[in-house]
Amino acid sequence: MKRLLLCIALVIPARWVLAQEDSDLQALQLADQFSAQPAAPSNWRAFIEGSVGGAVLRSTDTFQAEQRASLDVRYDDTFAPGWRAVFSDRLDAYNPAQKPFETAINTIRESYLSWQAQTDLLFDLGRINERNGVALGYNPTDYFKNNAVRSAVSVDPNSLKENRQGSVMLRAQKLSDNGSVTLLYSPRLEQTPSYADFNPDLAATNSNNRWLLSYSPKFSNEFNPKLLIFKADQMPTQFGLNLTNLVNDAMVVYLEWSGGRQLSQLAQAEQLLAMPYQNDEAFRNRISTGLTYTTENKLSLTAELEYNGAGLDQQPWNAIAGSPLYGRYRYWLQDIQESPTKRTGFVYASWQDAGINHLDLSAMERVDLVDSSRLSWLEARYHLAHAEFALQWQRNSGSRFSEFGATAQTQIWALVGRFYF
Amino acid sequence: MRFLKLCLISLALSVLPAQAAPTPQEILAASDAVRNPDYPFGLTNTLVEYKNGQQTDTSTLGIYSKADPSSGQFRSLIRYIAPLRDANKLILYSGRDLWFYDPSSKASIRMSPQQRLLGQASNGDVVTVNLAKDYQATSATEEDTQDGDRQTRHCYKVAMQAGTADATYHHIDMWIEVSTFHPVKARFYADSSKLLKSAYYRKYEKQLGIERPTETVIIDGLDPKWVTVMRYSDLVKRDVPDLWLQREYLPRFKPE
Repeated sequence: MKRLLLCIALVIPARWVLAQEDSDLQALQLADQFSAQPAAPSNWRAFIEGSVGGAVLRSTDTFQAEQRASLDVRYDDTFAPGWRAVFSDRLDAYNPAQKPFETAINTIRESYLSWQAQTDLLFDLGRINERNGVALGYNPTDYFKNNAVRSAVSVDPNSLKENRQGSVMLRAQKLSDNGSVTLLYSPRLEQTPSYADFNPDLAATNSNNRWLLSYSPKFSNEFNPKLLIFKADQMPTQFGLNLTNLVNDAMVVYLEWSGGRQLSQLAQAEQLLAMPYQNDEAFRNRISTGLTYTTENKLSLTAELEYNGAGLDQQPWNAIAGSPLYGRYRYWLQDIQESPTKRTGFVYASWQDAGINHLDLSAMERVDLVDSSRLSWLEARYHLAHAEFALQWQRNSGSRFSEFGATAQTQIWALVGRFYF
Repeated sequence: MRFLKLCLISLALSVLPAQAAPTPQEILAASDAVRNPDYPFGLTNTLVEYKNGQQTDTSTLGIYSKADPSSGQFRSLIRYIAPLRDANKLILYSGRDLWFYDPSSKASIRMSPQQRLLGQASNGDVVTVNLAKDYQATSATEEDTQDGDRQTRHCYKVAMQAGTADATYHHIDMWIEVSTFHPVKARFYADSSKLLKSAYYRKYEKQLGIERPTETVIIDGLDPKWVTVMRYSDLVKRDVPDLWLQREYLPRFKPE
């Protein structure tokens, strides 16, 4: 018996080693077929995108078809030592047209020149998409997001961050081995918005003077917070902070905060509409905090809590429901990308190679914690070397005058094809 | 300098009596010196992934690396060159500190080490790693083994355990050729002793003064039909300023 056990103990590992060597041999023979050549870097990235789909309208419970064709171009070139030119543009043509635009919507996302005066001192001039914030669903320190989205092709936060126009500004950055300081000034250039198809629409993102100072000290590889001071005309100074921390090999936590004295959003809307308003200026906080956990099979889950101290609690939110002010308040908030209420929960999941190679699944749920309305979004995206295909679904649900229950569509479907060239 | 060290170790091995044989940790360090230059450098890494005998993915990365003087470990900036949908995205890799930057959204996102770049190749496989800094070699026994070109090599089988929090794997067995310190193959394990992957270092060519592997073949431990090949080209000694290796520089990075 002992001899038998000894034989088994010797034979099983030996067989395992042989099996492993055999599979290694097959893998190495496969690797011998390697013939790929390294790709060359390019200053261009361009794609065309087509979308067919439509929405179920809440008012009539009928389906309205919609098609979209888009051209997306980005150019980034160091054309002389120390000089860099960046141009980024997107053209969306909708059928039926997106009111108040007539047919197409062109968004000049970026168009600027960059000059590296010294190794550690850089200046930029032009339209720049200045983006701050470490959170995924809501970025209180993203001070340049107001009126930046001309054409919202998806509610995916990544799409909203990407497809927006920058602000014209002069930006200076001083870098050192221990951190970075950035100072920028974005002037008031235009007051009247334009909905002409190809208008650069300066009024959208340059309608007042703004300054931003940000400082990122590098205390260590693990800990590098970002501090921000933002000032805009007719608005008290706002302060911001971005923090992240690695909990373990699979989890990152983050905190994004912005605070400063300001009116409530409702009072700001009334002020802009030249309506009588209550001067309720107070120190108000905006916070977005959450964590991202990644499993071993490439599934990333983000859970985020969002607090907007300038939004409404349940009672005042209910009080304005259905009033003329309600609609205008909602319309203005859509432009500045803020929630009408104080508290929101946000969950985002993305799964690369979800059971099938090249298939990525994404899901998002945004819940207004004040009125319990929900926005749900799903996407399945299959990508090839030069093309991508996606199926997207969105549902807005909730009571009649809630954040998501009052939207014009209850469901939106889209089948999207994208081709890089 | 690293070349000189290698020559000296080889010379010492040939003339010294048996009791002066290199320690397992010295063998590991000499093997690191074969894979990694000891000065800042840039290279192009072309990755091809195969599943069930079919090529399923290909990508090209530009990699810029520099050793951190305090830890001795490499810090790297990785730039996607292909596929087109990922072109010019960046990853800053400094130990367990990872930042991902997308020039389209201008977003700098902190990643956890578990978030992978491409297929079976983990972040730790793609960037340069000095194993001797993160692992403690516990033994080195001599044995013959088959290399990536199916030739028999007389090797040290070096067993090593994770020694720092930055180590990606719990323990590793690596076969290092006795006469040259060339890494030949390695097996990477989880703490449960489950085989996570195997790697073969092959196609040695003279680059920056010494013979270095220009290809790594990675075989999944669970599914041996899942194979990733990484081929290195354009290895050059180049300046990689510390300025580049911070989150705030990512939007500025434009190496050409």
